[in-house]
Amino acid sequence: MRQHRSQTPTAYLFLAPFLITTAIFFFYAFGRALYYSFTDFNLFNTPKLIGVAPYADVLGDPSFRRALGNSLVFALVTTTLQTIGALLMAVALNNKIRGMGFFRSAWYMPSITSSVVITLIFLWLFQRRGIANYLITQWQAYQPLILTFLGTLLALQVGQVLWERARRLPAGWLDPALAAVSALGALAVTGLLAWTGVVGAREVAPFDYQYFADKWIEVGGVRVLSVPLLVVIIQNTFTTIPTLMLFFLAGLQNIPGALYEAADIDGATPWQKLTRVTVPMLRPVTFYVVTVGLIGTMQMFDQVAVIGSAAPPDTLVTLAYYVYTNTFKAGAAPVNMASAAAIILALIILAMVFVQRRFFPSEAS
Amino acid sequence: MTAALPGTPAHHTPQARDRWLARRRWARAGWLYAFMLVMSFFFLGPFVTGLLSSLKDNPNEYPPTLNIPQLTPQFITRAWQLGVQGGGDGWQGGLKPGRSVSFEVSVQSPAGAPQTPPTVALFPYQPVSLVAVARQAQAKDYAALTTEQVAQRNDVRTYRVTVKSPVLTRQTGDPVRAVLVAPDANLRARLPGGEVVPVVLDTPEAQAKQYELNEGQAVELVRGPGGYALRGPLFERTPLQVDVVRGQSIVGSTLPPSDRQNFGRSFAYRNITPGVLGYTFNNYRRAFNETRDGKSGRSLFFSWVMNSFLYAFLRVAAAVVFCSLAGYALARMQFPGKNLIFLGAVLFVQMVPTQVNLVSNYVLLKDLNLLNIWGLWLSGLVAAGGVFLMKQFFEGMPRELEESAAIDGAGTLTTFFRVMLPQAGPALIALAITQFQGAWNDFFWPLVILRENTSFTLTVGLSNFRELYGGQGDYGLILAGAVLSAIPVIILFVVFQRYFVDTGADSAVKG
Repeated sequence: MRQHRSQTPTAYLFLAPFLITTAIFFFYAFGRALYYSFTDFNLFNTPKLIGVAPYADVLGDPSFRRALGNSLVFALVTTTLQTIGALLMAVALNNKIRGMGFFRSAWYMPSITSSVVITLIFLWLFQRRGIANYLITQWQAYQPLILTFLGTLLALQVGQVLWERARRLPAGWLDPALAAVSALGALAVTGLLAWTGVVGAREVAPFDYQYFADKWIEVGGVRVLSVPLLVVIIQNTFTTIPTLMLFFLAGLQNIPGALYEAADIDGATPWQKLTRVTVPMLRPVTFYVVTVGLIGTMQMFDQVAVIGSAAPPDTLVTLAYYVYTNTFKAGAAPVNMASAAAIILALIILAMVFVQRRFFPSEAS
Repeated sequence: MTAALPGTPAHHTPQARDRWLARRRWARAGWLYAFMLVMSFFFLGPFVTGLLSSLKDNPNEYPPTLNIPQLTPQFITRAWQLGVQGGGDGWQGGLKPGRSVSFEVSVQSPAGAPQTPPTVALFPYQPVSLVAVARQAQAKDYAALTTEQVAQRNDVRTYRVTVKSPVLTRQTGDPVRAVLVAPDANLRARLPGGEVVPVVLDTPEAQAKQYELNEGQAVELVRGPGGYALRGPLFERTPLQVDVVRGQSIVGSTLPPSDRQNFGRSFAYRNITPGVLGYTFNNYRRAFNETRDGKSGRSLFFSWVMNSFLYAFLRVAAAVVFCSLAGYALARMQFPGKNLIFLGAVLFVQMVPTQVNLVSNYVLLKDLNLLNIWGLWLSGLVAAGGVFLMKQFFEGMPRELEESAAIDGAGTLTTFFRVMLPQAGPALIALAITQFQGAWNDFFWPLVILRENTSFTLTVGLSNFRELYGGQGDYGLILAGAVLSAIPVIILFVVFQRYFVDTGADSAVKG
């Protein structure tokens, strides 16, 4: 105990830089934001308390409601997509094969690059006459060939599996060896048909879709998701999957192999092994990944700020961006509203984490 | 595995069954590799297409093609030769006074069509953005063009266009490169040594041009008896336009055209004296050269790169010292308030969005006159995430180390600096790398705090690029900037790969 007491000053000395900066730039800032959210502060006047009026203003602001809707839709859709994608990728990567190091690094690239760089590249890809539209045009043009290939592949696979089964070999519908033969066969058939001119590429007009415009996916007349936001969702999923995949990979390596052996003995299919063994065993990791995902996606800002005027404001505004624009609005900035919105954002995130902790408890935490 | 084959009939021999299983294993591996390759294309594709397109004259080319003349050895060689002809420099190119450049164009005029030579002209080129303020002298106002036919094969005639840049002085001697400074009554220029000298205009041709030259213009001077005489301005590029009449078509030229218009009868060559950098890396050169600060004439893009490095370096240095101190205290020392500090200052901080602190920190730093890199650094001095990382690391270290140090009579400070910190090498590298990456890619706080375009970091500068050039669809410059800003992190990743992959994941999973 005496030793503990003697450690106290040293400990606080060690912690001093961290505690002082956190106190000033986090807790003091947090308190001040809370205070501003009850005042009439506009960055240039002396703040005066006016009660909950800023919160009422914010909630009554159509732009805020749009931002809230966009943020929630973005967070839920992106978190779902990236969690599922990362899990599946991790399961695929968990096979021990040569060259894994290369694939891991290649896949990790989107995660290390800055969101600004990736947003700029995506803006370019999703231009009106950009690569994304070009690929869609190509897909439409080569549809007859692709469909021929897929149809033949399916027919060959079914035929082969039935034949193997007739020989009393336990071939599954997705048997990889048969699928390889089917793929080669389908390629040959498609090549032959294309060469004889039976099927070929179609003439199609260039696909000219404008992504960064005031376009919405509506459900029952309510604007749910804008097309520009959908592009950002695709981009965000693309960049976060590799990071989250690593968490799942680490988790997968902790699953005892005995469980899979037991499942094998019981005759489980790969799908059953995934849903009955892998997913339940990964619950703690999934919990962490979803929490991190929600915290991250609710704060989405960079992409919106970089795209900025390239898309109509309503389609992309998020809570974080709403706070930023209101703080730096030309003229008198409604900083009190920005603060109120920021507090609401913080409350939503804390509530999400709390709800998750409460209803989806995990062994890890 | 054999137990998983309940239906295997008796008449299949074990060898046949083993072969059947082996075949399946091989096929499985094959599919897996195919899947991996497809996913690698998916994850690397945007970067690779972005990188390749950033070299193109027009990255918005439709339909997009992977056939890039800028990467063809033949055209790179020609770009080098043209650069040597025009500027005496195969890398930078340009057009210097007294030089002449020949550029060949082949025109097909079938029988019955007009057999006239093409019309050639130089055209002005100005950077599209507002970032480049100073208007530069244009080759079209100085250089003279001549066209002559040099060859004919069937109905294709080859014409040689010669661009000759005049010398505006009668003085002879070694030319000196200089930059014009703000003029008073007369033109003045700064020599490479920093000395500012008056510029003498000793010919009528030179005097005719004196009001067209702006501050910041690169010129060539010759030392004469009366002072430094103006030999002429230095042009970074020589844009040439070639038109043919209806019925004719252009079938070849020394360099491929940057732009075709008027049903392929009007070709524009953005620069016929490019040099390798001006040809293959034109957009990269533009990123540096076209963004100049109006006041100092310095390249803004270069300043942004430097600012990003400075900020990243400061962040790493602070994190290595302060995060390890705080992490060690939280991991190994006993003191009142420890749990509160961990929950409040480490976990809670990471959960609250940074936008909450936006207003207060902005106002605070503005009052302290710290709306610059230093304010940015100070406000994020000790990262809570870094403290968490170091705490996890120190908790995993054996206690015996400290105990033996204590037996030897070492105090806490000595134990930390002499025993624990030297052991923390891998964790410190991981911390440094994540902090560098975080600082380099940081966008929100730099955007909030940095208000002068000279003090931007690269991310903020790039988003500024988007505003200035995106509207015109000038994606060449934007992509080049994006590629340049991604390079340091990619290099870091390639060198320290395992630290990127190891950080966080394990500790998070083990809770």
